[in-house]
Amino acid sequence: MPKQSKIDHGIFLLVVAVLAWTVPGAGHLVIKERKRAVIIFVTITLTFITGLYIGSVGVIDPVGAWPWYIGQMMASPAVGVLGQITRTGHYTSYGKPADIGQIYTCIAGLLNLLCVISAVYMAYAGRGEIIGEDEDV
Amino acid sequence: MCEFGLIVATFTSPENIGMDVKSLLWVFPLLASVAVIYKATKVRVIFLRRFFTETLVLFCTLCIVMTLIAALLHAGVWIITG
Repeated sequence: MPKQSKIDHGIFLLVVAVLAWTVPGAGHLVIKERKRAVIIFVTITLTFITGLYIGSVGVIDPVGAWPWYIGQMMASPAVGVLGQITRTGHYTSYGKPADIGQIYTCIAGLLNLLCVISAVYMAYAGRGEIIGEDEDV
Repeated sequence: MCEFGLIVATFTSPENIGMDVKSLLWVFPLLASVAVIYKATKVRVIFLRRFFTETLVLFCTLCIVMTLIAALLHAGVWIITG
């Protein structure tokens, strides 16, 4: 592969990774995996919103619960905006709803990390060339 | 606009969830999400019917395993605490 082509491919992989992180499923959409993109977008968004609904936006706490915040940030950089809003301490969440909300939002973020890796790997290997069992067409 | 404000307001205060056994049921929607995303990243080509079937099988497997682990932990606590 020529050097310029390698650089272009590297930039493309970077774009796929950034898009996949910014909007869940967008990385797969770029590599023309539409069904996968829709499934990922709907599932991760619903999981994250369910977490916010149960525990309120107070579950995004970059100060008091920063380890959870790292996981939540994997869902999208938009979580950082929510983090800035909740940093004021006006939205608090305690007890069981906070626990469940944090688990939901953090798992949504970690699942998106899995999808980012999947999108980059599929872009690297070529669409449909992901490691796994062959399926009947 | 007012309706939008009401929708946003529902995200500013936590839901009322007790400390009872029913609160454990919240694990199942999460397991469904994990099953869907895992299968979406794992299968080579997505055929909706087959995808749905495989996801359902994985979801049921996860539910059974989680229930067994919960039962084992509960039994362990019951034995230790008498």
